[in-house]
Amino acid sequence: MTILRTATGLSLAAGLLASTAVAASAEDYTFRVWAGGSGPVDDYRTIAIEMAADILEREAAIRGEELTITIEGRTSFDGWDGFKQAVTLAAEAGDAPEILATSHTDIAPWSQAGIIVPVEDYVNLDAWPLNDIFPNLMDIGSFGGTVWGIPQDSESRPFFFWKEHMRAIGYSDAEIDALPAAVQNGEYTLQNVLEDAVAMQEAGVVEPGYGFYPRVSNGPDYWQFYLAFGGTIEEDGQLVFDSAAMQDFYQFFADAVDAGITRQNHIGTPWDQWYSEVASGRAGLWHGGTWHYARYTGREGLEDFFNTIQFTLIPAGDEDGAANTITHPLMYLITEQGDEDKHQIAAELVTIASEPRINTLHAIRSAHLSIARSQSDIDLFSNDRWASEATERLLPYASAQPNNTDFGVYIDVMWSNLEATWTGRKTAEEAVADAEAELVATLGDAITIR
Amino acid sequence: MTSRQLGFLFLTPASLFIVMFFLAPVLLTVVFSFTNMSTATGITGGAWQVNPGAMRRLAIVHEEPDLAEALQVQAYVVDDLALASLSNAGQRQALIDELEAELIGQTFASRREIARAIRNLDNRPRSTREVNALATSFERSLVGNRYETEASLFAAIAAKGLALTPDQAEAVAEATWTGWTWTTENFERMVRVPDTFTIFLNTIFYVFTTLIFFNTGFALILAITTHYMPEGPAGWFRSIWLLPRVLPAVLYVLMWKWLAWDTGFLSSLLGQFGVPPRNWMLNDAASAWTFVIIINGTVGASMGMLIFASAIKAIPQQIFYASEVDGASRWQQIRHIILPQLKWPILFITTYQSLSLLTSFEHILLATDGGPGGVTEVWALHAYHTALSNYAGNLAYGYGAALALVLVVIGLVLSIAYLFFFDFKALVRPPRIER
Repeated sequence: MTILRTATGLSLAAGLLASTAVAASAEDYTFRVWAGGSGPVDDYRTIAIEMAADILEREAAIRGEELTITIEGRTSFDGWDGFKQAVTLAAEAGDAPEILATSHTDIAPWSQAGIIVPVEDYVNLDAWPLNDIFPNLMDIGSFGGTVWGIPQDSESRPFFFWKEHMRAIGYSDAEIDALPAAVQNGEYTLQNVLEDAVAMQEAGVVEPGYGFYPRVSNGPDYWQFYLAFGGTIEEDGQLVFDSAAMQDFYQFFADAVDAGITRQNHIGTPWDQWYSEVASGRAGLWHGGTWHYARYTGREGLEDFFNTIQFTLIPAGDEDGAANTITHPLMYLITEQGDEDKHQIAAELVTIASEPRINTLHAIRSAHLSIARSQSDIDLFSNDRWASEATERLLPYASAQPNNTDFGVYIDVMWSNLEATWTGRKTAEEAVADAEAELVATLGDAITIR
Repeated sequence: MTSRQLGFLFLTPASLFIVMFFLAPVLLTVVFSFTNMSTATGITGGAWQVNPGAMRRLAIVHEEPDLAEALQVQAYVVDDLALASLSNAGQRQALIDELEAELIGQTFASRREIARAIRNLDNRPRSTREVNALATSFERSLVGNRYETEASLFAAIAAKGLALTPDQAEAVAEATWTGWTWTTENFERMVRVPDTFTIFLNTIFYVFTTLIFFNTGFALILAITTHYMPEGPAGWFRSIWLLPRVLPAVLYVLMWKWLAWDTGFLSSLLGQFGVPPRNWMLNDAASAWTFVIIINGTVGASMGMLIFASAIKAIPQQIFYASEVDGASRWQQIRHIILPQLKWPILFITTYQSLSLLTSFEHILLATDGGPGGVTEVWALHAYHTALSNYAGNLAYGYGAALALVLVVIGLVLSIAYLFFFDFKALVRPPRIER
C-alpha cells in the first residue's frame, strides 16, 4: 500500500478507465511463493498457487490476452525461525518473495513495516470463493479493520490419549469414548492428566518420563495451558499478562516434572524421535496438532488411528479456565514487492488457490482442517474421517493468538520462563516475577499486568 | 602527482575494504543500539500509519483516548467533493451521474459495504480491481493507510473533518510513526531484565573455562607433548587435532548429537550397564556445559596448538642440548626454557581466543540452542536470538545491537587488561643492545 490510498484509488480508477479496452499484450510474471512451517506433505501450499496460475493463464487466453505466470515455490527453510529471518531480511533488501504462506501473527509487524499490502485492496470479499470462507478465519487474517491475508489452511491443537494405556489403568471403552465430552464439560482436567500419567508409569505401561509427553519446542500450543488456567492473552487490542494463570500454568509443568511423568530434559528432544515415540505407544498422554494425523498414519506407520488414539480439547486447568484449543491458520499474504499490477495478479492467484476443491487437496494431504463451508460437500473431504471429526470436535472451540505487533516479545518471555521452570532453574513463582519484570521493562504500557 | 599522493592512491582499495568490512559494522552496531529498530519499524525508514498499536499509544501514552477513537472510525462518504474528483480524473459521466443519483450523501462503514453498493449500479465498473479503486476514492478513514509524509497524514485528518491542537498534532505524529526512533531504552531494559545478569555470568563461565582448560591450557599440552614426539607421528597427531576446526560446524555438532542423544551412542553403550537412556547433551546444567565446553574447546585448541608448536620450534635447539648436558629434566626444560619463550604467543592466544569465544556462538546454537532452560544461553547467542529470531516475525534489531555493543566494549576492556597483565610494553621494548 502506498502513500494515500484515496489518491491511489482515484488515479488507479482513472488509469483503469483508460485501459478498460485492454490491448492483447503479452505479459510475463514471475511469483516467488514462500511457505513457512512446511513439511513434505505441505507441498500444496505452493502447488495450489501453480494450479491457480494455470487457471488464470487460461482465463486470460480466453479473453484473448497472453499471460504467462511462472511460480517459484519454496517450502524448505530452517524451521520457522529460518523462514522469518529469510522473509524479513529479503524484504529489507527490497527482494521479498511476492506471495507468502505464513502465520497470521506476522500480519501486525509486517503490515506496520510495509512488507505486506492489504489483500482486500485487490479482491472481492463478497464473491465466491472468499465469501465461503469461515468468517472467524477471515477475522484472524484481519488487523485494525483491514483484511491483510486470505486463510491458507486451518488446524487445531488437540490432546491425545493412547487408548491401550488408558485401559491398562482402569478406563473402560465407554469411558474412553466419553473423554471428549468429559474434557469439554470440565469433568476431566489437567489434574486428571497428572494422575493418569502417574498411574500409567506405576502400572509400568510407559517408562518414566513418558506419562505426559508434551511438544518439544516453543509454539502456540503452550498458550492453551495458560488459557486452561483462565489466562487472557489480549483484550480489546491490549496484551494481558495474568500472573495467577501464568503461575498455575508454569506450576503444572513443574509438577509434571516433579512427578516424573515428564522429563526435565524433555525440551529439545528431536522432533523425529518425538513423533516416532508418540505414534508407537511409548507415551501415554500428549498434545499436538491436527496435522499430526498425517505424520502418525503416514511416515510413522500407525495403522488404526481411531482405535488406538483418543483426541480431545486441551483439558481445563482449574475452575477459572476452560477446555480449549488454539487454531493457528496460515495466511496467504501479498508482499509490497512489484507494482500494483503484480499485487493484483498475486491476489487473484491466492483467491483461486482458496477455492474449495484446490484447498481440499492441501487439507486432506496434510491433515489440516477446512477453510470454507462448502469443503464439506467435496467427497475427498467428507469421506475423510479425521477431517470431519476433528473439525466438528475441535474447531468450534478454537481461539487464535492475537495479531499484535508486540506479541512476539510476549511469546519469547513466556517461553523462556516456562523453560526455566521446567528445567528447575526457577520456581514457578520466580519465573512469573521475572516474566513480569521483563515484560514491564520491554513493553511498558503496551501490556496490562493482572 | 607526488609520490605521497600515489601512496594514498595505492592504499585506497585497502582503506575501502577496512571501512566497509571493519569500521562500518561496528559503527552500525553503535547506531542501531541507540534505536528501537525492529522488523515492524524497518531499517531504512518509515511512514505514518493509523494502526491499532499506534492508537493504543495515542490513547495510553499520550492520553488522547477520544482522539484515538475518532481516528479509527472508518467511513466511506459519497459527496460532491469526491464526485468532482472522479470527474476531474476522467471517470465515465454515466457512472458519476448514477453515483450521484443513487448514493449521494451516504456514508458506509467499510469498503466492503460501499463496494457492494457500487456493484448494484447499472454503470458499475466490470472488474473487482476497478470497483475497489472506485470504492477507495470515497475513503474518509485513515485506518491502515501508510502516509509517506507527516503533511499528507495531517491533510487526511483535516479531510476527515478533525481539527487538532498543536499538542495533539505532535502526539498523533509521534504515535503513528512506524519507523524507528532514537532511544537509550535498550540499555535501561538490559539492566532491568532479570535474566541479563544470569546470561552475563553464563558468558564469563563459558569463556574462561573454555579458554583456560582448552584454548590455552590443552593447546599448550598438545604443543609440548608433540614437541617431544618424533617428527612424523607429531605431524599426524597435530593434523588430527585440526579436524574439529576444519569440519563444518553443522556436521561436527551433529556427530556430537549422535553421541549424546538418548537413542545415541552413549545411551546405547551405558544401557549395557543398566544406565537408563537420556539425552546427555540436554540432561541438566552440568552435562550441557560439559558438552558445550568440550565442543568449543576441541575446535579452539588446534589454533593454540599450532601457534605454540611453531613458537617452540623457533627456540634454538642448542638451548635444549645445553640444558640436557646440565642434567635438566623434561619438566625443568618446560618450566625454564619453553614457557618463558611462549609468553608472547600465550598473550596472543589468550587475547585472541577470549575475544573469539565471547562472540562465537554457532556451536552452542547448534548443540543446545542455549538450553536446557537457558543455562547455556551466552551473551552472543542471546544477541542472536534477540536480533534474528522471533516466533511472531518481529525481530528486535535495536535491542540485539545493544547487546552486541556490550560485547564490543567488553572485548576492548579485556584486550587492554591483557596487554597490561602480560606487560606488553616489555615485550615490544627493543633489546638493550639496540638502545
